[in-house]
Amino acid sequence: MTGHLSLDIVKQSMEGLGIAEQVSNIRIRIKTTPERIPRALLIAQSILKCDHLITISAVDNGTTFELMYHMTGPHRTVLSFVIELPRDKPEVHTVSDILPPAGIYERQIHDLLGIGFLGHPDLKRIILNEDWPTNEFPMRKDWKPDPGTFYGGIRKEAT
Amino acid sequence: MPEVHIPIGPQHPALKEPVNFKVVVEGEKIVSLDLDISYTHRGIEKAAEQRDFIRVVPLLARVCGICSHSHTTAFVKGIEEAMKIEVPARAQYIRTIVAEMERMHSHLLWLGVAAHEIGFNTLFMWTWRDREIIQDMLEEMTGNRVVYGINEVGGVRRDLTPALISRSFEHLTKLEDRLAKYVDMVISDETLKMRFCGVGKLTREEALKYGTVGPTARASGVDYDVRRDEPYLAYAEVPWKVVTDTNGDVYGRTLVRIGEMQESLKIVRYCLENLPGGLISVPAPRTAPAAEILSRIEAPRGELVQFIRTNNTDKVERLDIRTPTLANWTSVAVSLVNQNIADIPVIVAAIDPCMSCTSRITVMNRKDTKTCVMTWDELRKHGRNLYQKEWRA
Repeated sequence: MTGHLSLDIVKQSMEGLGIAEQVSNIRIRIKTTPERIPRALLIAQSILKCDHLITISAVDNGTTFELMYHMTGPHRTVLSFVIELPRDKPEVHTVSDILPPAGIYERQIHDLLGIGFLGHPDLKRIILNEDWPTNEFPMRKDWKPDPGTFYGGIRKEAT
Repeated sequence: MPEVHIPIGPQHPALKEPVNFKVVVEGEKIVSLDLDISYTHRGIEKAAEQRDFIRVVPLLARVCGICSHSHTTAFVKGIEEAMKIEVPARAQYIRTIVAEMERMHSHLLWLGVAAHEIGFNTLFMWTWRDREIIQDMLEEMTGNRVVYGINEVGGVRRDLTPALISRSFEHLTKLEDRLAKYVDMVISDETLKMRFCGVGKLTREEALKYGTVGPTARASGVDYDVRRDEPYLAYAEVPWKVVTDTNGDVYGRTLVRIGEMQESLKIVRYCLENLPGGLISVPAPRTAPAAEILSRIEAPRGELVQFIRTNNTDKVERLDIRTPTLANWTSVAVSLVNQNIADIPVIVAAIDPCMSCTSRITVMNRKDTKTCVMTWDELRKHGRNLYQKEWRA
């Protein structure tokens, strides 16, 4: 087990890719952009020796969508890469080609928040039921269930 | 040879929650696997945004029946970090005791299920009987057998009395004897080895590449355990070691889980012996300042992650839960490729999936559009017959 990554090393390797800040003693947050995220993750994998994608968290902050790619490695430091996506065009390139476990997390985010992952091999529904209406994304802050819409389960007329 | 699609699930009596697999096979060999986990989606993340912290805790205890303590621990740990409150040592020790007992009963449950999948029902009955010892202890300590409800923001809700602690030691001695027996069985029993060795193999590189967590990863030699990597509760003060193995197959996963149970038992005993005095909880404020927390804990099935964002109110702005089973699915799809249909039950069971079930299997032959239905029992029988024939040969 090697020591934790220092902020300086992370800053150095993320030069020109994003702004790094220490958020807790073992977590470093790196703010980057959707175009730079695949490159940033590749560098995290090679230079910073991150071999485990913990998860991708997605947040609707009311104005934009935020995606956070949390990675760790033998140094046990957690690197969180943060990107923001505009509400009117929530799309980003998939990272499942670099990190296979990302595929299932991206499917989940696509399902719940309606974020598109370009180039994803199999962006199918995974969490919501098959009769859930398309273009309704329950984890969005502005989503309200519509009483007239059928969200799955047993139809009233069938009972 | 024509490709055959086998839909499995979503209901299955051996495992307790629904999932649907679509398995593509060529003859007896599996070509690919796809899954649908929508059957248990209950909108808990959305519901958590509508409730204050006090009411989110019991909600999260109901994410999963087996690891109800893990989910609440991850949440209260995160919220306490956001509120910057110091939880009393006694509370942290009690949380550790319950967490490790939960790990033991979960691993015993798994060992029983895995034994059942290969037709070793005696072991299934034994482990589930011994699991009762832990269930009884948990009931005495927390008042509940399944949803313990011991956690609250700021500490725990029930204290341990000296009488309860001395009774617990008696239970632990009994349990230790039983665990020693299981270690002996797994090492020496030929039936177990025949069905577990070389099945569902994942190399260390594959385990890392596909993002496995918990005992599945540790059985492939991946040395990650959040309890040591980012110590929480009392793990930094308790002497214990991370159990790993290099077999990488179902057998390795069995050895890791059995080793972990022995470690858990030592942790519980140490915590009971060295239980610090003092308060069991501190009053927590109703609101939390704006913060962004990544709360990771080691649940029985692996790393459980909750991403929490607070916004100066008494509710979370976002709670994103990533369960260990979701992380392990990618690897299951990989480790099943090129394996035998007969090994589906045991490989799927080997990651200890926390939401999977199957009840009937439709075997379809795409070419002549013939369909026949196989029950999970028939599939299990098919597995047993096949291996019996091989053994005799």
